[in-house]
Amino acid sequence: MRIRAVGITAALIAAIAVAGCGSDDKSPTVTESAAQAQGELVIWADDKRAAALKPFADKFGSENGVTVKVQAISKDQQTTFVTASQQGSGPDVMVGAHDWIGNLVQNGAVDPVQLSAEQTSGLNPNALKAVTFNGQTYGVPYAMENVALIRNTELAPEAPATIEALVTAKKPLCLQIGQNGDAYHLYPLYSSAGGYLFGTTGSGDYDPKDLGVGKPSSVQAFQKIAKLGEKGDGLLKRSITPENSIATFTSKKCAYLVSGPWAITDVKKAGIKYDISPVPGFQGGQPARPFLGVQTFYVASKGKNKALAQEFVTNYVTTPELAVALYEAEPRPPALTAAFDQVKGTDPDLEKFIAAGRDGVPLPAIPEMAAIWDPFGKAEAAVVGGADPAKTITAAGKTISAQIK
Amino acid sequence: MREWWRHGVAVLMLLFALLPIVFVVSAALNPLGTLSSSELVPTGASLGNFVRLFGETRFGSWFVNSVVIAAVSSAASVFISALAAYAFSRRRFRGRRVGLLSVLLIQMFPQFLAIVAIFLIFSTVTDLWPEIGFNTWWGLILLYLGGALGVNTWLMKGFFDTVPRELDESATMDGATHAQVFFRILLPLVAPILAVTALLAFIGTINEFLIANVFLTDAGSKTLPVGLYGLVAGERNANFGMFCAGTLLTAIPTVLVFQLLSRYITDGLTAGAVKG
Amino acid sequence: MRARPADEKPRSSAGLLAKTVLLGLTVAIAVWAAFPLIENEAWTGLVILLATTGGLLYLYLTPRHIPLKYLAPGTILLILFQVFPVLYTASTAFTNFGDGHRGSKQEAVVAIQTASVTQVPGSRQYVLTVATTGDPTTGSLVFLITDPATRQVFVGDANGLRPIADATVGSTGRVTAADGYTLLNAGQASARSAEITALAVPTPGGAIRSSGLSRAYEGRAGRVYEASCDCVRDTTTGQTWTADEDAGAFVAADGDRLAQGWKVGVGFGNFTRVLTDPAIGGPFLRTLVWNFAFAIASTGGTFALGLLLAVALNSPRVRGRVAYRILLVLPYAMPSFAMLLVWRDMFNTDFGLINNLFGTDVDWFGGAASARLAVILVQLWLGYPYMFLVATGALTAIPRELAEASRIDGASAWGGFRRITLPLLMVALTPLLISSFAFNFNNFNAIYLTTEGAPFPADNPANGATDLLITYTYRIAFGGGGAQYGYAAAISIFIFLIVAVVSAASFRRTRHLEEVNA
Repeated sequence: MRIRAVGITAALIAAIAVAGCGSDDKSPTVTESAAQAQGELVIWADDKRAAALKPFADKFGSENGVTVKVQAISKDQQTTFVTASQQGSGPDVMVGAHDWIGNLVQNGAVDPVQLSAEQTSGLNPNALKAVTFNGQTYGVPYAMENVALIRNTELAPEAPATIEALVTAKKPLCLQIGQNGDAYHLYPLYSSAGGYLFGTTGSGDYDPKDLGVGKPSSVQAFQKIAKLGEKGDGLLKRSITPENSIATFTSKKCAYLVSGPWAITDVKKAGIKYDISPVPGFQGGQPARPFLGVQTFYVASKGKNKALAQEFVTNYVTTPELAVALYEAEPRPPALTAAFDQVKGTDPDLEKFIAAGRDGVPLPAIPEMAAIWDPFGKAEAAVVGGADPAKTITAAGKTISAQIK
Repeated sequence: MREWWRHGVAVLMLLFALLPIVFVVSAALNPLGTLSSSELVPTGASLGNFVRLFGETRFGSWFVNSVVIAAVSSAASVFISALAAYAFSRRRFRGRRVGLLSVLLIQMFPQFLAIVAIFLIFSTVTDLWPEIGFNTWWGLILLYLGGALGVNTWLMKGFFDTVPRELDESATMDGATHAQVFFRILLPLVAPILAVTALLAFIGTINEFLIANVFLTDAGSKTLPVGLYGLVAGERNANFGMFCAGTLLTAIPTVLVFQLLSRYITDGLTAGAVKG
Repeated sequence: MRARPADEKPRSSAGLLAKTVLLGLTVAIAVWAAFPLIENEAWTGLVILLATTGGLLYLYLTPRHIPLKYLAPGTILLILFQVFPVLYTASTAFTNFGDGHRGSKQEAVVAIQTASVTQVPGSRQYVLTVATTGDPTTGSLVFLITDPATRQVFVGDANGLRPIADATVGSTGRVTAADGYTLLNAGQASARSAEITALAVPTPGGAIRSSGLSRAYEGRAGRVYEASCDCVRDTTTGQTWTADEDAGAFVAADGDRLAQGWKVGVGFGNFTRVLTDPAIGGPFLRTLVWNFAFAIASTGGTFALGLLLAVALNSPRVRGRVAYRILLVLPYAMPSFAMLLVWRDMFNTDFGLINNLFGTDVDWFGGAASARLAVILVQLWLGYPYMFLVATGALTAIPRELAEASRIDGASAWGGFRRITLPLLMVALTPLLISSFAFNFNNFNAIYLTTEGAPFPADNPANGATDLLITYTYRIAFGGGGAQYGYAAAISIFIFLIVAVVSAASFRRTRHLEEVNA
């Protein structure tokens, strides 16, 4: 008999579930249509930024008599945004990194923004350059980031001037590599050793036809990096991963950490005395060039409320208040000069990060960059683990150029 | 004394099973909340991560969402599955074996490719019937029920096959309808496997991430895996303690459901229950 | 086929009631679902809805088609949410669907033109007020434009720009009142968002367009589509890009192609590419062998472990069975993606728990053999509770008399288990083992969240020692040239065929198992 009860319960649950669909429908319909009548703006961001944006989005909403929804996309933001947009379920405004631009443009997912002369002059020139693609401005930048050398001043009082000085200091360095490498964090070293990813055209844009990976200069660069690896000086190790790099530094097992402004919150929380200096280059080599990344607000091409989205992105995001609030949620240097000036007094780290990024180059936003990350990272991991640099980087170059075509 | 091997096996497995979990517990209690997997013993112990989890995130709504979605969809899915398993096991009809095989093969298509199609379907659904569209419980439950006819059907069909045919044939002779045979004779006999399937479906749903991640974007509508992933997405260190605390709490509903169903799973029905 | 007695028996009143309620609900849902379809004039949808509802009513009211009565609910859901997505995905295998080729040609043209609009050199930005003539929701839309330098107000619509005199201008330059026009607030304006974005007020140098709701600029499309030549022309340089319907892109004479393309059919192009791509063909066999080894080891290993535990705990004389069971199921109760990440960290060479605990210095993910061992170990941990639960359920479902009967016959415990219990278990569990194999064959997360395919040979960063076909596919299709869904779908179809053949072959062998009780 017991089982009959289970059967009936199951049937009941199914019935309730079905009935629920029916009875539930009235209230949401009403609110939905009401929202549409007075306008609704949907913003997508990652979890951290969504939380920081919320109060300002609400404020914008109440000032303008519209509903603003901030939704957090936890994973694969870019792909989800492009796919959802294409099917008409995307947001009106997207928040993301500037190196998405190439892909977003080829998918017709974002519109250029038209900023006035005074708005553009209020932005950090590097940030503005990063969001410019094929001569158009594709979003409003709000924060900048680049890696620097963060050191525990109790373990390492002096900032090393060169990589060689770092090696002779014989103090552990946390530069995340992991099993499959990390091109972003390695790039300062690679560029200092003479390597490059893409050449530039006359107009200063990246040129996908000139691939630097696999060229003799990249082989020489990887030979220098191999000397620092596990079979050489042991400065670079695959066991430092994106997951444990910052934690290893905060638990004082590393004297140096190559990381960006996002690491500072943790470092402070762990009570570490630290200082920030540029990532050093090889002695007599090129300057070490970290990648400059810019966090950006985009106007979605296929949003349902583009006029309001443009209003929000071009006229509201460009106000210092919002930039300062986003800075407070996560301490990255604001791209808006006015906001930067406002917070730099209380936070000396900002100027140090900007100084560390002085030789930096914008992270390439061309779609071809997607082909670089994976093979380049793996080549890095293999070389650090002791593989032959020439053979490895040549193979990586072949794989990349096959994908770019 | 002959039973000692049973304890031996169980204890050995427990060590293997619990090692990573002990690590999660340790990280959840560690007030620094960083990921440093080399130590099992936390440097400090506090419930701070749990407090922050409830204070700073919408963990409560994630929890409720997950439990409701998992409970409703697993109950409905077990019911649908049992119906189909009965037909596959007891009835002989054209296309039976092909149908059975197709049910399995259809699940083999990679899900990350299906995401595009899901957007395609639910963009239309959201426009027409917002009550079952994106960001709703019912939409996600329906989507999950698409998989009700799947592995679980196979599992149950296998068990229906072990129940002697004579039982339902004699009932049919006695004048029972097919529905009565199904509800009164077969279901009670396969109670253990119904309970197991319900548990498996519950766990499968409450841990589902890939689809829920694109389906639920409103902060209040997220499920536990999506919400928890959001805590560590990007820079995983910052919230690792909270993440581990949340992971531990996620196991609670599952353990409760297991408890609830365990008398079916472990005691089964004694031979006497075949009376019907 | 076996003869069955006709199915017309007096049914219980509870059954009748349940049936009536459920059918009533079905009709109620159908009616509810029909209204939006009618409103949106989605007639095809309506026909499908009516046919389905009618079919269901017929099915459950007629005494015939008994198997279908049991299969219908699951099948309908299966078709909607599994079969349709799979067919849709499979159909993309014949297209170039992917990044840069997601939408229609029309969408590509719009994207190209929108992306080429730049401010007319030397032009200035204006303060914009959106207004209508008459009713805010239906009146025709106009832009009230204030020149910030002169504070002169113009009204602009599709016909052009003309000055108006009697407008009041606020401190920011926005119009606060204008005779004959209704000013729209942000809410009203955003209801007409699409019209506002589309409105371009023609000027001698280009057109005045809105930038949000409070600013306007004079812009000019640098590239326009011309239907006569089916090409895109650059208005300043005069260069043209002609539509290439085979590639789904605008291509210039010198081979330069515009980034915004569209989706076109490519026939079997993706399939031939799979067969000829050296990146796939080269390491294919090695990957396939490992893929089988992984699926078999995961399925067999979890089954053996789960069964051993189930048997060990399947005795009322074992104390603490409940506690054991709860603790042993825990690995399955935690979100698997979280635990996969935890395991990955545990295998870290210098900082991982495993090396620390055992005092070893193994570079787990650095060597092919150790990495493979590691991922299988993780799979065992994740998967054994499933098999344990299923086997426990199976053991309890087997009548105890059978096992006891064998004891009386004088068989040893092991002999009884092997000759009586195990064969019965296999009847119930073989289908499950097949499906578990098929699942593990494509177990993307098991690899992607742990080794990501590592270790990779130095000379081939595209294929690693622990790569399964599915993770390998994913890297090829989504790694380099952006997401290539069409290509990925084609590879998936090949993998699917492999799994299907293997599963179907093992399924054929279950036929005799099925008939054990027949």
